[in-house]
Amino acid sequence: MVRSRALSPHARMVLAVLLAARGTWSHGYELARLAGVKSGTLYPLLIRLEAQGLLEAEWQQPTERGRPPRHAYRLTAQGIELARTTAAEAGEPRAASARQATT
Amino acid sequence: MTAGSQRRLAELTCRILETVLPASQQAWGRAIRHETAAIPDDALALRFALGSLAGLLPQALAARATAWLSADSEPIAPAPGGTIVMSQHKPFAPDLRKLGMLCAAGAVALGIVHLALTGAPLRYLGLNLGALLIGLSLLGLLGSTPPAIRRHDGLALVAAAGALLATGALGETAEGAARWVRWGGLSLQPSLILIPVMILAFTRQPGRLGTAGMIGAALAMAIQPDRAMAAALALGLAVASAWRPGRQAGLACAASFLALGATLLRADRLPAVPHVDRILFTAFELPSLAGLAALGGSALLLVPAIVGWRRDPAHRGTYAAFGAVWGTAIAAAALGNYPTPVVGYGGSAILGYLLSLATFPRPTPSTAGHDTPGQDPAEATPFDQPLPLGLA
Repeated sequence: MVRSRALSPHARMVLAVLLAARGTWSHGYELARLAGVKSGTLYPLLIRLEAQGLLEAEWQQPTERGRPPRHAYRLTAQGIELARTTAAEAGEPRAASARQATT
Repeated sequence: MTAGSQRRLAELTCRILETVLPASQQAWGRAIRHETAAIPDDALALRFALGSLAGLLPQALAARATAWLSADSEPIAPAPGGTIVMSQHKPFAPDLRKLGMLCAAGAVALGIVHLALTGAPLRYLGLNLGALLIGLSLLGLLGSTPPAIRRHDGLALVAAAGALLATGALGETAEGAARWVRWGGLSLQPSLILIPVMILAFTRQPGRLGTAGMIGAALAMAIQPDRAMAAALALGLAVASAWRPGRQAGLACAASFLALGATLLRADRLPAVPHVDRILFTAFELPSLAGLAALGGSALLLVPAIVGWRRDPAHRGTYAAFGAVWGTAIAAAALGNYPTPVVGYGGSAILGYLLSLATFPRPTPSTAGHDTPGQDPAEATPFDQPLPLGLA
């Protein structure tokens, strides 16, 4: 498992939200809102998680005409393992109850 | 700020971010732009875009600087006979002008973040952006100036000193200071535009005419009076005279210190102007993002001096003078009611910063390759078309 250093509270929150999504894709704005982090914290974190193979990203075609495609994210198996370990270590409540369904 | 303006500024912020991100991360820039477009509320979209820019800009610039710094090193083919393969340094080929342009763009972008978060009028943001574009264009023009024209640097320095003296005598006044000229409905501060480039040109090629020009500039700073630029002039010329000791540089340096002394003897009663002065002084009292943007933008301005000093020993005098001038201007803005260069509202410092980059040595030809960004399905959407500029 890739875990080179202690995770910040923000990273733990983002991982918890992604874990609670149970494999469905999440978008950046929604992730930031649910995890309670600013976009300036979220994106560097997502970039790092993806580079470490903990997160996968895909472009999703818009559901409405004229809207741009959106980048969506979900944890890889490795990311899920890390998120579970982190949540267990910290004893944090998972964010499932707070999370809305995502596309 | 109107909702439409907020949306346009959010879009522009995302475009800036996309531009500064390294090729390997530009898909992330597009992702943020498209995500911002999907946020229905204009104010939230703007906040999302500005936050993303502030969060990613430092690492984007660091990634570009790292790529640039490692561009002069590449492995060589194994020598016949199984010799151990090591890395080889190509002839040094830095492009410090490009780095400076990047730092200027980054500092302007962080300044825009700061201004937006502290409630500055939208036209302030547009003016700084416009000054950046004009400055980049001017730098492009000056960058191709033939060496034959550069031989007349001395005359140019005298002409610039004349402009500064005329400003002191005939320019706009406020509380006893005469530092500004009205042009196209804007109030420009010629000393911020001219003094840095004058010092650097003089450092490169001091001479009798150049010395006369620098003494004229010192006199102008005493007349206006302008402590901040007088201090920048004095420290810049101190570096110049240390780098090229001689009678000419010594005279210019002595005149500049006398001028600085004269400005210190005269009272400076100018009040602080919101979004222009005291930005750094109050950076730690502001919400974290606004304060960090101001500090980060100011720090970026000194990066070309540091990198140039380290990577181009043959021209250290130029980089030291550049660092002395802009470092002093930043320090003066932190200590008194003087404009915060590039980060605060005002196009003069932005123009001055970019023009001063024109004195940097030309890069030697480099064979370094360029990254080719990968394509993604979002590449061809209408949202990826060039952004028509229209902020106001």
